[in-house]
Amino acid sequence: MSHGHAKEFKVRWGMVVDVDKCTGCGACMVACQVENNISPMVRQDKENYLPSMTFERDDPSNKMRTLTWLMVYELSNRKDYPDHEVAFLPRPCMQCGNPACVPVCPVVATDKNEEGGIVSQIYPRCIGCRYCMAACPYHARYFNWFDPIWPKGMDKALSPRTSVRPRGVVEKCNFCHTRFLKAKERARQEGIDPNELPEGYYTPACVEVCPTGAITFGDLNNPEHKVHQLAHGKYAFRLLEKLGLDPQVYYLTKRDWVRKQGDNYLANEEPHAKKH
Amino acid sequence: MLEKALKGSPKYWGWLGFLLVLIGIGAACWVWQLTVGLKITGMNRDVSWGFYIAQFTYLVGVAASGVMIVLPYYFHHYKTFRHMVIFGEFMAIAAVVMCLGFIVVDIGQPQRMLNVLLHPTPNSILFWDMVVLNGYLFLNLLIGWICLEKDRLHLPHPKWLKPIIYTSIIWAFSIHTVTAFLYQGLPGRHYWLTAILAARFLASAFCSGPALLLLVVLITKRVTSFDPGREAIRTLAKIITYAMAVNVFFFLLEIFTAFYSNIPGHMHSMAYLFTGIHGHNGLVPWMWTATVFGLGSLALLVTPALRDNHSLLPWTLGILVIATWIDKGLGLLIGGFTPNPFEQVTVYWPTGPELLISLMVYATGALVLTVLYKIATEVKQDLEVSQKDEVPGPA
Repeated sequence: MSHGHAKEFKVRWGMVVDVDKCTGCGACMVACQVENNISPMVRQDKENYLPSMTFERDDPSNKMRTLTWLMVYELSNRKDYPDHEVAFLPRPCMQCGNPACVPVCPVVATDKNEEGGIVSQIYPRCIGCRYCMAACPYHARYFNWFDPIWPKGMDKALSPRTSVRPRGVVEKCNFCHTRFLKAKERARQEGIDPNELPEGYYTPACVEVCPTGAITFGDLNNPEHKVHQLAHGKYAFRLLEKLGLDPQVYYLTKRDWVRKQGDNYLANEEPHAKKH
Repeated sequence: MLEKALKGSPKYWGWLGFLLVLIGIGAACWVWQLTVGLKITGMNRDVSWGFYIAQFTYLVGVAASGVMIVLPYYFHHYKTFRHMVIFGEFMAIAAVVMCLGFIVVDIGQPQRMLNVLLHPTPNSILFWDMVVLNGYLFLNLLIGWICLEKDRLHLPHPKWLKPIIYTSIIWAFSIHTVTAFLYQGLPGRHYWLTAILAARFLASAFCSGPALLLLVVLITKRVTSFDPGREAIRTLAKIITYAMAVNVFFFLLEIFTAFYSNIPGHMHSMAYLFTGIHGHNGLVPWMWTATVFGLGSLALLVTPALRDNHSLLPWTLGILVIATWIDKGLGLLIGGFTPNPFEQVTVYWPTGPELLISLMVYATGALVLTVLYKIATEVKQDLEVSQKDEVPGPA
C-alpha cells in the first residue's frame, strides 16, 4: 500500500504558485482546457438527441458539474472596506507524494509510479465509481457528468496528442502529461538524457500562459531548479498541509490570512511555516 | 422448492404485480440515466456520492443484521429462534441484492464493472467490499437453501454445513466493517475519519436490521399462518434494545470527541447536520427528527412493559427504522461531504429520477424478499409451525 511509504522518485515535478502575483485573469484555466481537450459546456446536445429524454445541459458557469482541472478560487479576507482584500488561488491536481486517491481505486485506473511523480489516470479502465473523488480532499478530480461536445469547427482545434474522455469516467490534471512525453522526445533527439530534462524543457500549458509569471514549474528535487528554491522559501505553504498528503504543489504568499484559509486552523492558532 | 413461489393467493400476485410496476417505472428512469448519464442525479464535484451509495451503506447493515438471529441460534443454541433463522438469512439475501443494485446504478461506466475482477486491487477497500458482499450472498444462498430443503424433507441439517454457517456469522461482521472502512480511511473527511465508525455501523445495523426484519416478520405473521412465537419476538426486541442503546451511546461519543477537542473539521459536519452553517440548513429538520425518533424508540424499548406490548412494538420499530435510516442513509453520507475540507457548503439533495431509480432497487429487493419468504413460510406451514405460542419444529 502506498500509505506511509510514499514512493521515492529521482525527479519530482512540482509547481509553485505565487498567490500574491495572481490577478485571477483565468488564462491558465483556458489554456488548460484547450491543451487537454476539455469540451466547453454547450446547452444542447444535438448529436445525441432523444425526443423527450434529453434536456438542456448545465450552465457553463456551474463549476460543480463542468470539468475544471485547474480551478482559480477567489479568496476573501471577509472584512469590510477599507480592509477588504481578495486573493486568487489556482488549484491544479496537487500530485500528492502520498495520494489519498490512488490506494482507493478498485481497478488500478490511477497510479503514482512513473518517474516524475505525476498521479496518472487511465480513462479507458475507470469504471466511474468516484471513490477517488470522495478521497481527494482538494476536489481536484472531476467526473464526466456529460458527453463531451465540441461545437462545429472547434473540433478542428483539438490537441492531437491528448485523448478525449467519454461520459462516466473520472479525470484530473496530470501536469499536461503529453507535454512531458514531448519534452522527453525532444531531449532524446538532442542527445540529452530524457530523465534529466533541463529546466524549461517541460512546462504545462498553465505555466506557459500565465501573464504575470505567478506559476513556476520544475523538478522539486533538483536544487538548481527555481521551484526547489521557492518551495523551500520562507513564504511557501501547501494546502491542507496537516493531512500529510505531501502535495507537489506549493503556494507563496506574504499574507497570513491567505495562508490561514489553506488549512483548518483553530480560532486562536497562527498558521505555521511549511515543514521541511 | 421454487415451485412454492408459483402458487399463491390473488393478494400475493397482486403484491408482486405492484412491485413489478414500481420496478418498471424505476427501470425506465434507469434507462434514461444510462442514456444521458449521471447528470440526472443531484451529485456534483463536491458531493460525488449521493443517495445510491447511502442506501447501499444502509442495506449492507440490514444484510449483516441477520446474524443477530443466526448467532444466538448456532453459538448459544437458542432454540426459540429455530424458525426465525431462515428469515434472517433470506432477508440478508434480499439486502445484498439491493446493495449490488445500488452499486450498479451508481457507477458511471457499468459496462466496465468486471474491471474490478480483471484488475484486482487488494489495496482498495472497494475491491474487498465487492469480495465480502458477493461472498456473503453466496454463503446465505447456500446455507438458507440447504437448511430449508432439509427441513422440508424432515431431515437433520448436514454436518458439513456447520463450519460454513460459523464462517457466515463472522462474515456478517466483516461486510459491515469493510463497508465502514470504505469511509473511515479517507483523510480530510472528518465525519468519517473516526476509529469508531465501523463499531457505529455495526451497532446501528444490529438495531435497524432486526427491527426491519421483525416488522417484516410481523407482516408475514398477519398475511400467512406462520407465527415465529411470542418468545422469539420478545428476545429479538431485547436484542434491538441493546443494539440501539449502544448505537446512541457511540454517537454521543462522537459528539464528545468533536466538541471537547474543539477540532474544527470534526465539529463542522455535526454543526452542518444539526444546526446548519452559512445559512444552509436543509438537513436540520431531518437530523432532529432522527434524534427525537431515535431517543423515543429507545425510551419505548428500554421500558419492559412497553417493549412487550406487541401492539405498540411495530410503531416503536417503525420510528427506530426511520431514525437509523436518516442517520445512516442520509446524514452520514451528506455530512461526510459537507462542508468540504475548505469549509465550503455544496448542497446536495437527491433528484426525482434518482429517487425513482432507488425505488427500482428497493422494489427489486422487496420482490426477492417476498418470493423467498413465500417459500419459507410455505415450508414452515407444511411443518405445522402455525399459530401456536409454543414452537414445534423438525426433529
